[in-house]
Amino acid sequence: MTLILASGTDPLGHVLDKSSAFTDLFGFDVPLSVVSVVIGAVIVMALLVHSSRRIKTGPESQGHQRYVTRGRFAQIVEVMVDGLYTQLLEPVMGARLAKKWLPFLFSMFFFVLVLNVMGLVPLADLQEIIHSFGSKHEAGEGAAVVTTEKRALLWIGGTATASLSVNIGLAFWAFLAIQWQSLRELGVKGWLEHLCGGADLVRNKGLWFVVPIIFVVEVLGLIIKPAALAIRLFANMVGGHTLMATLMLFGAMAGSLGIAAVSGISLVAGAAAVVISLLEIFVAVLQAFVFMFLTAVFISQMSHGEEHHDEEHGHEDHHGSVSADSHSPKAAH
Amino acid sequence: MNALLILASEGGANPVSFEILPAATAFVVFGVVFIALAYFVWPTVAKGLDDRNAKIVGEIKGAEEARAAAKAAQAEFERSLANAREESANMIKQARADAQRIADELKAKNEQELAERVARANADIEVARKAAVADLQAQSAMLATEIASKILRRQVNDQDNQRLVQESLQELASSRR
Repeated sequence: MTLILASGTDPLGHVLDKSSAFTDLFGFDVPLSVVSVVIGAVIVMALLVHSSRRIKTGPESQGHQRYVTRGRFAQIVEVMVDGLYTQLLEPVMGARLAKKWLPFLFSMFFFVLVLNVMGLVPLADLQEIIHSFGSKHEAGEGAAVVTTEKRALLWIGGTATASLSVNIGLAFWAFLAIQWQSLRELGVKGWLEHLCGGADLVRNKGLWFVVPIIFVVEVLGLIIKPAALAIRLFANMVGGHTLMATLMLFGAMAGSLGIAAVSGISLVAGAAAVVISLLEIFVAVLQAFVFMFLTAVFISQMSHGEEHHDEEHGHEDHHGSVSADSHSPKAAH
Repeated sequence: MNALLILASEGGANPVSFEILPAATAFVVFGVVFIALAYFVWPTVAKGLDDRNAKIVGEIKGAEEARAAAKAAQAEFERSLANAREESANMIKQARADAQRIADELKAKNEQELAERVARANADIEVARKAAVADLQAQSAMLATEIASKILRRQVNDQDNQRLVQESLQELASSRR
């Protein structure tokens, strides 16, 4: 832990995106998040291809055993897929949409999950620690000694989803998926009517002045929904990692209090960091799920036409009370 | 967020700045991942899960059909058993009725035979009685005639009378033999 503390005193320095060693190689800035995204893609594809082969139904010669998934990891993947599909996607989207969007949503879930979990492995910190040994060079003699410190070459590490840019790239896919579904289900005319508050409102000449306001709000909503996905993921990843880095820097901050104080504080902070690490694992899974689930909700909202529009905004009945539909999961934002 | 803003204001890396390379990389790489997984992974996984689901549903359906068949067989067996019980009860009832009928018939036949025998015996007795009476009458008449003839031949005293009676009784007895 002391080694990690020695690698820096800025908690955000451990969290924010850094330039990778590939920057020198390619001649332009290649952040660690880019490297992590590529490595994460390779990992997620390798793991899921491996799992799919083990989930796949075997030859008939295996008898009943051909239906059994082989291997613990593949079984975990299967349980996740089956549970998320039957317990969440199907109830929220309906069987038709859930089946149609399964590849996209589960690809998104596992990709974000792998990127989040990769961020829990302190590879960049380890490289910095290793680099800290012998990175200082002294030049000159006597009072004219100048100490220079070489920048650490980071090949891998960091949390890709702690980069807002990466999350925006992913959320753009969610945006495309939502609009694709909207155009497929409603058509261009229906889609435009939806943006204007629905066909009934557009044809109601007495409320024409509301239409531009709703149009602006809806167009903003098109952007805000995926932007919220990106910001939520970014904030959760940065927040958790910052908290952990801050806890681990307490020992370094207490450096002037003596070895006993540093040891005691480091011990307590380390124990707290372990607890937060467990919470971080949970948050990594939860945020991947939230990203996928909200994308599914937004997609499903675009599949109910005007009915969806009423749900989305919470319509009032003749007695002026808000319909219970507005509190349904499909109407949640 | 305040810490992020402070850091940004102090000249550190801006955590909320947008950079095109990470965003474009994430977009393109996820596109590749999505296409690869959609082609190589999810159809296989979905088919595996569907196959298993179909297998489980099939097994459950088969088990339900087998249970229904067993239930039907049990109902059929119970119906057959009930029929057999009813049939055996009917047979016993019929046998008892037949036995009763036969017994009644035998009894009636016996009673009839007995009645016939009694009647025949009574008739025989009557015939015998009539014959005996006729015989007795004939004998009495003959004895009377004989006694009368004897009376006519001599006077009868008490001893004679007694003797005559004895003789008559003896003759009657001998005539019966």
